[in-house]
Amino acid sequence: MLKIKNLKATINEKIILKGLDLNIKPGEVHAIMGPNGSGKSTLANVLSGKSGYEIEGEINFEGMNLNDLKIEERAQKGIFLAFQYPLEIPGVNTNNFLKTSLNSVRKARGEKALDTLTFLKLIKEKAKELNIDEKFLSRQLNVGFSGGEKKKNEILQMKLLEPKLSILDETDSGLDIDALRIVADGVNSYKNKENAFLIITHYQRLLDYIKPDYIHVLSAGKIIKTGNADLGEQLEKTGYANLG
Amino acid sequence: MKQSYDFNIKQIKNLSQEEITSRQKNLDLFYESGFPSKQVEDWKFTDLNLILNKNFESISNEVNLESNKELKTIENFEHNHIFLNNGKIISTSFSYEEKNKILIKDFDQKETTNLDLGNTLTLLNNALSSGGFSLEITKNYKLKKPLVIYNYFSKDLKNKIINNKNSIKLNEGSELILIDYNEGHVQSNFIKNTIDTVSLDENAVLKNILIQESKSNGHFYKYIKGSLEGGSNYENYILSSGLKLNKIEIEINLNKDNSSCSIYSALNLLEDQHQEIKTRINHNSPNCKSYQKIKNVLNDNSKGVYQGKIFVEKIAQKTDAYQLSKALILNDNAEFDAKPELEIYADDVKCSHGSTSGSIDSDAVHYLMTRGIPKKEAVKLLINGFLDEVLENITITELKFFLQEILERQINGL
Repeated sequence: MLKIKNLKATINEKIILKGLDLNIKPGEVHAIMGPNGSGKSTLANVLSGKSGYEIEGEINFEGMNLNDLKIEERAQKGIFLAFQYPLEIPGVNTNNFLKTSLNSVRKARGEKALDTLTFLKLIKEKAKELNIDEKFLSRQLNVGFSGGEKKKNEILQMKLLEPKLSILDETDSGLDIDALRIVADGVNSYKNKENAFLIITHYQRLLDYIKPDYIHVLSAGKIIKTGNADLGEQLEKTGYANLG
Repeated sequence: MKQSYDFNIKQIKNLSQEEITSRQKNLDLFYESGFPSKQVEDWKFTDLNLILNKNFESISNEVNLESNKELKTIENFEHNHIFLNNGKIISTSFSYEEKNKILIKDFDQKETTNLDLGNTLTLLNNALSSGGFSLEITKNYKLKKPLVIYNYFSKDLKNKIINNKNSIKLNEGSELILIDYNEGHVQSNFIKNTIDTVSLDENAVLKNILIQESKSNGHFYKYIKGSLEGGSNYENYILSSGLKLNKIEIEINLNKDNSSCSIYSALNLLEDQHQEIKTRINHNSPNCKSYQKIKNVLNDNSKGVYQGKIFVEKIAQKTDAYQLSKALILNDNAEFDAKPELEIYADDVKCSHGSTSGSIDSDAVHYLMTRGIPKKEAVKLLINGFLDEVLENITITELKFFLQEILERQINGL
């Protein structure tokens, strides 16, 4: 599904990713762990198409060269990024945003746009699964939401847009244990043979709830070690420093 | 090119000799200074004379042009209506209301208005005004549905000026939602110079909503003069995007205790559109409130202006006055000018004002795009979010939906 070969990314003349390789197949859950400043969020930004990066190397998503796709096209083709810090957007009504988003993606897929009533029915169901109070949906997007509410809102968008590849950037940060469990349940219930996850995290704790097939350790812009779920527990004990 | 004037009083119907003389006097005074230029302080951001010179070869007054349009009311929105052509009443309908509660007739041109004659557009209006309406709501009658005033215009208005006076009077305890609705795409350059006199008796409530529904080469000037008695409330909403030139001047006199007014505007200006909102709120009595929120989105090489003055008389203690203007400037060639002014003679008052302008938040655009929304749509969503806020105090769901739809169309460029 996603093939990254020798990816280098530079911002403001500073090279962050220094030749990264990654291969994700449908049905797989990959975790990327690493210390602060190792390039974890840069990888998420580059995949989502954020401007400002100079990119070398190859990113292939479902047979397409990702660099040829505009930001919105990446989302329409099935890449979803759950932000580490979801933005507060004053004035934009959450429901209205969600509907515009879903219908943009549906349109790109050649599906019919949902009318308001059908949409509201769908979003209510999805919100309920994540234990999100309906009231949040009629508020301004993320404005005044707590950290946990913002993260739940990201997962709600993921479930609504039904992406092939979901990238979760530090989704566990700012979550209390209950919210963490709800978010993890949300991810686990969406997981299937057709889709894949890339979980970017600093800590092991989210991986206690979402079991990864592979764990990669990112350090100074390169993957220096790849292992199975046990690697996470090992890192929790020994830290990143000992990996060299 | 400098335009030439061809103003003709004698062709206006049914004028007595006395009226003709008085009108001629006003016209002579107008000729002394002509249309206001930026040398006139009130017009420093809107050089009307220059704009008219650029766009008009000549200007003559509209005299009894035929209306040949099919009249159409807005669908799926229950309302009463008045149809005007070039400001003259064609038909009225108050099917949702009780009988004999609403008085509507042609404006009586003999009626004198107490207006500032330093404004040459007032002089011109006094000289040339015809048509117009006079609306009065009887005591304690609250209209069940909004009243839409459809402004239609004749096809060939090239180089014409229309001058109207209207009067709106709400007697004690009455309530009205009045929607001033400009219909139809008018391609020819024309000018409309309107004076609305609004008078609200005790505890009367008026929502006055100004809507432009299509792009138009109309050059509009409207002066609204409101006088408010105790406990009355005047709310003004300006959704007039689409006009080539528009200046709305609002003067509200809070004459008795506990009267209040608010002015909201949401404009999305495109191309070389130019709109100015100029307000003067006179707090003439204690315990009155005024609130103004002016929002502009400026695209292309458009220009937005807000001049807002709050004047507080010495006796007007416990005044609560607020004004805020916010602009989103989306193009380097667009411009927004704000001139807030406070003139306060009382010592126990709460007055505040603020003005901000900025560009669109690129991180927000990015966030929306990562959700599959194309850039253009993302920007529109943010513009809508920025402007929609001015409708937040409208609690009537039907009306709110109606206005939100208009706003959306204006954001899409009509």
